[in-house]
Order: sequence, then structure tokens, then C-alpha cells
Amino acid sequence: MTDIKHGDIVLAAKGITKRYPGLVANDRIDFEIKAGEIHAILGENGAGKTTLMSILFGLVQPDEGEIYAFGKKVHFRSPLDAIDLGVGMVHQTRKLIPAHTVLENILLGHPKAGTILDMKRAGEEVAQLCKHYNYPLDLNAKVWHLAEGEKQMVEIFKALYRGAKVLIMDEPTSALAPPETEKLLESIQVMTRDELAIVPFITHKLPIVLAVSHRVTILRRGQVVARLDTKQSTEQSLAREMVGRDVIFRLERGKAARGRSILRVENLSAFDDKGAQALTDVSFDVHEGEIFGIAGVSGNGQQALAEVLAGLRKAKSGRVLFDDAEISHLTSLQRWQKGIGYIPAEQRTVGSIGNFSLVENMLMNYHFDDAFSKWGFLNEKKARQLTEALIAEYGVATPSPDVKARGLSGGNLQKLILARVFSRKPRLIIVNLPTQGLDVGATEFVQNKLLEARKSGAGILLISEDLDEILALSDRIAPIYEGKFMDVIPAESAVRETIGALMAGLEKKAAA
Amino acid sequence: MKLGRYQIKLEKKSGFTGWQAAVISIVAILFALFLVGFIFLQAGVDPALGYQEIFSYAFLNPFGLPLTLNRAVFLLFCSFAFIVPIRAGLWNIGMAGQAYAGALGAFAVALALGAKGSQTPSLPGGALVGLMILGAMLGGMAVGAIPGILKGKFNTNEIVTTMMINFIMFWLVAYMIKEGGPFMGSGGEGEGFKLTESVRPPLFKDTPFTLWVSLALAALLYILFARTKIGYQIRAFGSSPAAARYAGISPVKISLLVFVAGGLLAGLAGYHYFAAVPGLYKIPKNYGDFGDLAFYGIICGLISQGNPLASIPLALLFGGLTNGGRFVQGKLQLGFGIDYALLGVVMIILVAFQFFFRYRIILKKAEKEN
Repeated sequence: MTDIKHGDIVLAAKGITKRYPGLVANDRIDFEIKAGEIHAILGENGAGKTTLMSILFGLVQPDEGEIYAFGKKVHFRSPLDAIDLGVGMVHQTRKLIPAHTVLENILLGHPKAGTILDMKRAGEEVAQLCKHYNYPLDLNAKVWHLAEGEKQMVEIFKALYRGAKVLIMDEPTSALAPPETEKLLESIQVMTRDELAIVPFITHKLPIVLAVSHRVTILRRGQVVARLDTKQSTEQSLAREMVGRDVIFRLERGKAARGRSILRVENLSAFDDKGAQALTDVSFDVHEGEIFGIAGVSGNGQQALAEVLAGLRKAKSGRVLFDDAEISHLTSLQRWQKGIGYIPAEQRTVGSIGNFSLVENMLMNYHFDDAFSKWGFLNEKKARQLTEALIAEYGVATPSPDVKARGLSGGNLQKLILARVFSRKPRLIIVNLPTQGLDVGATEFVQNKLLEARKSGAGILLISEDLDEILALSDRIAPIYEGKFMDVIPAESAVRETIGALMAGLEKKAAA
Repeated sequence: MKLGRYQIKLEKKSGFTGWQAAVISIVAILFALFLVGFIFLQAGVDPALGYQEIFSYAFLNPFGLPLTLNRAVFLLFCSFAFIVPIRAGLWNIGMAGQAYAGALGAFAVALALGAKGSQTPSLPGGALVGLMILGAMLGGMAVGAIPGILKGKFNTNEIVTTMMINFIMFWLVAYMIKEGGPFMGSGGEGEGFKLTESVRPPLFKDTPFTLWVSLALAALLYILFARTKIGYQIRAFGSSPAAARYAGISPVKISLLVFVAGGLLAGLAGYHYFAAVPGLYKIPKNYGDFGDLAFYGIICGLISQGNPLASIPLALLFGGLTNGGRFVQGKLQLGFGIDYALLGVVMIILVAFQFFFRYRIILKKAEKEN
């Protein structure tokens, strides 16, 4: 590390172009990162971030353009070449082995681990590294015991121990609770003092970009549209460059008449897929014209709750009442017919069928509707008309309703799913991570649609890990941690820090 | 990969049309026949002559053609029995057992109503034929329902259950027709009893009426999947069980439905060959051969990509090849098993060529390495 001076260009890409059939993912992209710098790459979904990141890490070879590492032209044939030259990658979905210890995970794939494994010495070296960055990490703990933020640090230390001088981070804060995010940002700022170069790729958490980065490169439709010094930018200016138009950050929640209780949940408990208790004794109700927000980091029982309410998972105990009638025993089909709409977090695997056309996807919520079939034959004409109308109304960007849903971007697919569910005019909408992975423009659209539905009198159960979203939309907020509600707080008296602490499992009293 | 001065690149295709699939399949068949030509050469036979004999016997010969057609119809019913569940993402490997069940169902009706051998049945022939078909369908459905329920309720692996039921049904047939069994024929040579004249269904244009039933079913199934609500639900479940469940489609209902339907269709295959093909009208000693033939229904169903119309030419081809292969083996005094070799190679090549449905190969001049 000694031969790198502050401000040296450690990694540079010149004129990177990558074409895929029917699209130019990267169009003559120039990018450079200096030692000791945090240089964020910002862009909406489909702007070409993933392609660029894969090229910088050697996963994908560019069609044109050159990469320079430490001033020398290099040719990454695979990630191994990149790692050997000091480029490390921290993936969004952690690629760690849960049943192994932290140390074992850090050593996995290390060249030294191939021949003679001196665990003791390696352990000391890693411990030294942790100490240097002032991040206490129990090297003998099994990875599955760790919190998300700690797992991410394991990945970072893994890269550092292999000698990384450039760290590429894919959506580094997407799975973290607010206190964990702060801790992470602190740690990476410390690292830049050792002349490490850090390249976070970010879709929509603009405040984070502003808080820690030195420079920002913004991509749109595969091209670099702006290179900015962070000091001279604002959230608005970044968003404008990213989306290509002005974005209003303040949502107008307005007043909606809170009606009577439409959903009542009593002492609900449920297991997850592995048979572990996911939800414990949860009780609440949702009123008409109300958004009830459940704030929590994913994996704290929200998924099980949403599935039980949608009729896709059996409850262990407890009751669910819709419109004052018990629905615990009803199938998902019966719940759709009663007017309960569910927008799942898994857009691609549950909310849509990739190799079905958009019309066929629309039928997912209409095949059981008598108005859409006669004598067992589906009324295709009617389904097509409905699809075309909804595509127009919701602004789904697609050449035709006959393309496969697989080809839609995340934002467009979510618009389609929203259009499909909302068009049934459900009286209760259960919506899980509605803007996860969406870019700024699509997020704004989805959130406005939720507010519209609230205004028209639907009860909405909003599950989200984005605290800003919860605060902007909800009338009441329930932070959830390890399957239990920590509290239920009316929006008027909600304090951001308190909710953030409750999401992270800190007791109410300690946080106050 | 590099090959001399050229570089070979694989590119994933975004999709393929029915016509492309047809062309690729035809090329595959020609290539397979070319390969099998070497077997003929090795046996000292001119491949051109060998193929001429095979195809002219299978498709032009007045004795060969009906045999080909009868086999093709049997295969076609079996491919339908495979296709319906596979469109729901479920594998029916139990066509053999379901076909046996169909045959047993039909012959049970015949036995119960006195249509055995030289007896005079108590009902008119037409009614009896109808009842026998019903019996075949019920037999197939009953056997199909077992894996359907097990899959839907307990998520039991359907490949294992359908496969195992094949064995049970094979030995059940053996018990029924062999010495002392209720379906035993008069001679006691390990064959089933022969059907009375009056329940042998009339031929339609010199072919068993089941041929026309199978063709009509191909069209009906095609429409079922393309246009109907239940077809949509089956396809949705087949594409993504989780998404189908989300959309209110019951996994139990779909699993049961497709396996009962598959059993019904395979049951018709059993009825067709043992009760509607001229010259047979009984469960023969070598009924196990038809169980083997039923497995080719899987191949037809897979190659046709689950399209019932596309499986018609495939069933004809395989029916013709099994038939012509066996014939040429005798006529040209080739070694034992040339018919199986021929079928085996054709199938492997057809399956291997499915690669080209998904990928295209690009050949370009290699860049100089620097």
C-alpha cells in the first residue's frame, strides 16, 4: 500500500462499450477513481450500472474500451484477474457461507488457503486488520449469527485481506437498518484514510451519496450524463441528472377520511419456510382510507405476515377478520374475490410470470372473474383491451402487450402489477416492499398511486424497509423486529430516530 | 473456443418460433439418419437401400402402413398423456401403467357384460363399445389420480410414483391374463380372452376409429391450452407454481386434474391397441412391448415442446421407424437390435439439437492475441 499516493488514479475505464442484442448497455463510458476517494456511481435501473460494475470486476468483457489499473493497461479475463490486481467486490446479496465462521469465510478462496492453511497466523492478521479499522468482529462466530451489517463488513474484510485497494460495492446500504447504515458509512470513510478507493453503485439512496462521497458519476441509458463534485450537488440536482427531469421529493399525503376498520388481526403467529417462528402474537387493525406502515429490515417476519393475510401461508394461531367476518380459513382465490389485493415483494417470481405475455399476466387477477370467461373460454379480446388501457393509464413502457413480462424493467413490471391489482378496486391492499429496487422516477409513481388508493377509501397495509417511505406515506407506523411489533405510533408523533432504533431491536426506553 | 484462425462464440437466443423448431428438428432427424448410415455400412448394407426399405415398408406398403398407423396412434395418446401434465410442470412417466389400466378397464367391462369369446353379450355392440371406452378412461384416470393426489397434497415426487405404478400395473396385468386369472383366454397360453365380434369397433376408412379420435384430441388439447381458462391455469402453474398460487390457482386441483387427464389419455392408448386394432382384440402375451412403446410418448412430448399438434408427425415418425426398423432387420438379415439403435440415435440427436433452440453459434475470425 505504501507506493500509492493520495490522489493517484488507481482504476480507470476509457471508452467502455458493451452491447447486448437490442440495447447498448454501456456507451463509451469513461470513469476513474483515485486513491483515498469515494466515487459513487449513480443511475436508475437499466442505466448500465450492473454492466459497468461487472466489467470493472472482470465478470463481463467489454466490446470496446480499455481498463487501466494503477496506470497500466489490463485485461480482466475473469474476476480472479481483477482480484489479483487489487480490485475487490462487495455483493448486494451476500455471498458468504452461513454455516462457516467469519474467519473461514474470509479465508475462502484466498491463494494462501489453497496450500498450507495456517489458521492461527491468518486469524491474527485478520484480527489486526479489524483492529486497524476499529471494527470489532468475532472471527469465530458463525456467519448466520451475524446481522446484515456485520455480514457486509465480513465481505469487506475478505476483500481487504486479499489486498484490495479498490472496493466496488453494489447497493451497499440496501439491506441495512438505519443505525447499521451509519456504522458502515463511518467505516468506509475511515478506510479512505489508508488510500483505499471505494466505488459504491447506488440506485436511489441519494442522501447517502451526499453524506459520504467525494465525486459522483451519473449514468443514464448507458451513457455518462454528469460528473459532479459532491460538494456542489444537492439531492434535487442528482435526481434531475439521473431521471432526466425534475423530481418532487415531498409527497403530498393530504387528508383522507379514516373510515371503519376493514382488517383486524388478532394474536397472529406464523412459521417461516424453514419452520422457525417468524411472527409472534401480532395484533392490529387497518382502517379504510388509512396507510398502516410496518417498518422493519427484511427478515423480521413481514414476509410471513403478508403471506398469511394473502392466504398463501397457514397461521400457527390467531385470527384474521376482514370486514368483521373471519377469513382465516379462506383460500387466496376467495380473498381476491372478497376484495383483498396483494402486491408481493417478489415481483419476478410471485407477482408475475416471466414467460407469459403482459395480457396473460393481466389475467393472473382476472382468470377467475366471470366477466372474463364464458363456457370455460377466456375472453382474450376483453383481457387485451384491459391490458392496453392499463398500460396507457400507468405509463408502462412496452412496445406491445404481447411482449413477455420477463423483458420489462423492474419499474415497469411493478407498474404493471400495481395496475393489475388496483384495477380490481380492492378494499384492502397488502403491499410488500413496493419500491424495492425501483429508481427515483418509478418510486415516486408507485408511492403516489398508493396515496391515491388511500384517498379513494382503500385500507393499505404497507410493508417497507425504507424508513423514508414509511414516514412519508403512513398514517400509523409499527416497527417490527424479530416477528413482534415494537410499538404502534401515529404519524403525527413519529420521530425518525426512535423508529430507526426500534427497527434495529433497541428497546423503546433505551432509544428514547 | 478457438478453432484455427476462427473463433466460435455461443449466443443465447431470445426465443424461437414454431417454424424454426420444426426446421431444426428435421435437420436433426436427417443428421441422425446419416449417423445410423454407418451402422448399415458396418453391416455391409447400402444405407440408401436400408432407408428405402424402412420407409417404403413403414409408409407405403399395404401391410406396413396400418401397422405404422396403429403404433403412431398409440404413441400419440401416450404423448398427450405426457403433454398435459408437463404443461403444468409435472412429469408423467406412468403412461405404460395407465395404458395397462385402460386396457384392464375396457376388458373388465367386456367380461362383466358377457362380451368374451363366443358369448352373446347382453347389450347391443354399440353400447358396449361405448361402455368399454368409458371403462378404459376410468381405469386410466384412477391410476393417474394416485400420483396426482400424492403430488398435490404431500408434494411427493411424481416421477417416482408414476414410474413405480408402472411396475404394479405390469404385474397386475400378468396376474389377470395368465393361468387362473379372471381375464385368461380359452387356450391358457398366458393371453387374455378375445373380444366377441360385436364389440370389435367398426373401421372407419379402413383404419381404427381411434385414429380419428386421436387427431381430434390433438386439436382439442391445442385449443384447451391456447384458449380456455383451465388451460391458462395449467400453463400458469407450469411456468411458475408460486405465481400461480398467488393468482389463486390451487396446486392440489391442478396436480390432480392433469394427472387424471393424463391417465385418461393413456387409458385410451390401452383401449386403442388392445380393443380397437384389427387382428388383436385381446391383451396379448407380449403386452410388455407396448409398455415400452409408451415411453416414446415422453420423447414425442418433449420434442414437440408440449404442442399436441406437433406431436402428430413425431408419433408417425417413431411409429414408422419402430415398424420399418423391425422389418428391415428381418429382410436384410441385419444383427438384432438395429431398430432400437435407429430409434435411440434419432432420439438422442433430436434432444441434443434442442440446444439450437436456445443458442446460435457464431463463427468469426479470431482477433490477434496481444
